[in-house]
Amino acid sequence: MIKFLSLLFFLVSNSIFPVLEIEILKGSDNLSKVAFVPFGIESGIEENYGSQISKNIEKNMLLFGEFENLAVNEMLSYPSSENDFYYRDWKVLGVDYSLIGKVNSVNALGNLNISYSLFNINRRIKILEGEIVGSEDNIEGISKIISNRIYEEITGLRGIFDTKIAYVINSDADTYQMCISDIDGKNEQILFTSKAPIMSPDWSPDRKKIAYVSFENGLAEIFIQDLQSGERDSIQALGMTNSAPVWSPDGKSLALVVSFSGNPDIFLYSMNNKRLMRLTNHYGIDTEPSWSPDSKKIIFTSDRSGSPQLYEINTKSKRKKRLTRDGNYNARGRYFPDGKSIFFVHGNDGNFQIATKKLSSRYIETLTSTSLDESPTISPNGNIIIYATKDGSNGYLGGITLDGKSRFSLPVKSGSVREPAWSPLLN
Amino acid sequence: MNKALTSLNTFFLILLFLSLIFSMFSVPNLNIDEAQSIKINFYELIQQDEKLFDSSAPNTSVEKETKKTSAINKKTNTDETSIISKFKINKLGIKNEITKIKLSKEREDILRVSAIIQERISSIWIKPNSLSESLIAKVLINLAPSGEILNFSLIEPSSNTSFNESILTAMNKMTFFEEVLSLERKLFEQNFRNFNLVFKSSGEIQ
Amino acid sequence: MEPIGIFILAMICQVYSCAANVSDSVERMQYASVAGEEYLQGDRLETNLDDKVYFDFDKSILDAEDKSLLEQYLPEIKKAKIVRLEGHCDERGTREYNLALGERRALEVRDFLIVKGVSGKKIRVVSFGEEKPLKSASNEKAWAENRRVEISLY
Repeated sequence: MIKFLSLLFFLVSNSIFPVLEIEILKGSDNLSKVAFVPFGIESGIEENYGSQISKNIEKNMLLFGEFENLAVNEMLSYPSSENDFYYRDWKVLGVDYSLIGKVNSVNALGNLNISYSLFNINRRIKILEGEIVGSEDNIEGISKIISNRIYEEITGLRGIFDTKIAYVINSDADTYQMCISDIDGKNEQILFTSKAPIMSPDWSPDRKKIAYVSFENGLAEIFIQDLQSGERDSIQALGMTNSAPVWSPDGKSLALVVSFSGNPDIFLYSMNNKRLMRLTNHYGIDTEPSWSPDSKKIIFTSDRSGSPQLYEINTKSKRKKRLTRDGNYNARGRYFPDGKSIFFVHGNDGNFQIATKKLSSRYIETLTSTSLDESPTISPNGNIIIYATKDGSNGYLGGITLDGKSRFSLPVKSGSVREPAWSPLLN
Repeated sequence: MNKALTSLNTFFLILLFLSLIFSMFSVPNLNIDEAQSIKINFYELIQQDEKLFDSSAPNTSVEKETKKTSAINKKTNTDETSIISKFKINKLGIKNEITKIKLSKEREDILRVSAIIQERISSIWIKPNSLSESLIAKVLINLAPSGEILNFSLIEPSSNTSFNESILTAMNKMTFFEEVLSLERKLFEQNFRNFNLVFKSSGEIQ
Repeated sequence: MEPIGIFILAMICQVYSCAANVSDSVERMQYASVAGEEYLQGDRLETNLDDKVYFDFDKSILDAEDKSLLEQYLPEIKKAKIVRLEGHCDERGTREYNLALGERRALEVRDFLIVKGVSGKKIRVVSFGEEKPLKSASNEKAWAENRRVEISLY
């Protein structure tokens, strides 16, 4: 009887007592601390391979300021297998994740087998285990693959360490270079050098071509350059000024701006039949088109209201919608990879800064705090924006994570760097 | 005999039910967002109490002062007796006022401890970036009276694995909520023996 | 007669482009001449006049001073084969928008000259947006100098 009563009491109390609920909306400003333990090596293998791989991974993971690391000399132990791994060694150092690994040789051809494990110290569990086979001369590539996997495991976002970036360098008054490099600035390649300005690079979705604007023939003209062969082709036969090319998500067409007799409008250009289709028709300036991720809409800048503002147009129905109202300069909009928000250049009190806006909200949020920021480009995982800004008379590339926790600048190049374009992911 | 027992049982049950329902009203249901909104809640509570006093007692400014400083405590003590003498006209009224004061004190205590717990979790929860997804996950926590976390479980996970993981990681960093030691035992049992943490992702780009 | 020619050309072009698909060959021929660089081979005609008109930020309106300068150009233009108008902007704002704005500034000058009787066929218009600033500093003075249309005669 008493049992019955107490059980009843328990049930009733559980359902009737309102349980206190505390809401947690704010997260910490701290970064996750990761220990990149030097990888162990099988005897007979080049000794520094182990530390080289873990160092590479560490460099990648710290590239955008998203994590904190633990210095190797502060580590209490250097395990390379799970058997030697003790959580308490890392817990006392405030580490959140530890990466360990080992390099084994596969054969005499210089192939390596690298095994690695990632531990969540707070939860005391192994969260990732992997193995990768690669050649000795591709240590960097192997490191990038491991970096991507652990980044994905920790953040839940796609790893972006094998992406590239395109940019324009203006090294002196009369030299302009169209360049690409790995996202960490390594392996820079100069695609094209000109005495006339180069503008607006954009990657094809398959990452094999870049479209850009060149003034080499005295006026703005669109070129498409194949990265493999280096061949360049101009999109001819258009108006006085052709500019602002952007690839459609399927890579079959370009949205671009053509100015016939001085009135720039947005057109679609089919790569197959090389025909133009008009999208906007207004006496004001319509420029800076960019596709929504689902290809259904194009965002563009127009001064039809008297000041540059962002609009979107449905490519089928051609219905237009104004997207920005606050401030008298909102231009060069791009969609986030999820298509739900946009980022753009927002003029505010004479400062030009990178801003974001949810399409469902009217509020504009400014991300950057310098005054001449432009050409924002977003990482394919939607987590980082790189933009061009200026320090004195030199242009450089700045970056920011969208949670605002990290601000960084990319390694300085000789000359003024501008117009960064983040490549898509290799699928 | 059996019949009598069952009827007694029913009687007890009804009594139990009534007491439970009654106790339900006495436990405030709190929904706290951020440290800031807690402050507002405090403010509202104080305002409310003042209003209550206003309606029944003419001299209420004293009550405010007792809440504010100790410097004027002496003065208020003497004033208090004068209030009570005024209240004597209505004994029931005094009783009501006392329960109200007690209740508001309890509320304040609960809010204070909740705010500290909220702050402590916020300071260690490394929230993953999820720009447009609005996610909610609920964690049930069992505390010992010492404040030690006996157990926690993700009773309502969100649809996003890394969001859930980040919460579990944060919860694993916590071992004690020693703040509850400052609470009366009854308050602890009613509110903090078992309580929920509701983690929300929205609000990154507002 | 010639301005009307240009106008008709522009109209044809509009009509073509309004149709869903614009076939390319026609435009190529028409605009090849407009964009052509043949004048660069000729010698530049020197004048004693200031070769620049200036604009306000995000504006392409000519003020009285600009107009009187352009009127002084008219006799010089009569002697020239080609009038080249090069539109520029300051570094503020976005590059592609500035490219369009520079073009609009140059067209504003062109339209003024046409109204004053200059043959549209003589005029070459090009915009460099913010790509070729005169001054690389980032201050009001440098910006004011960079917002310009440069006039050159050949």
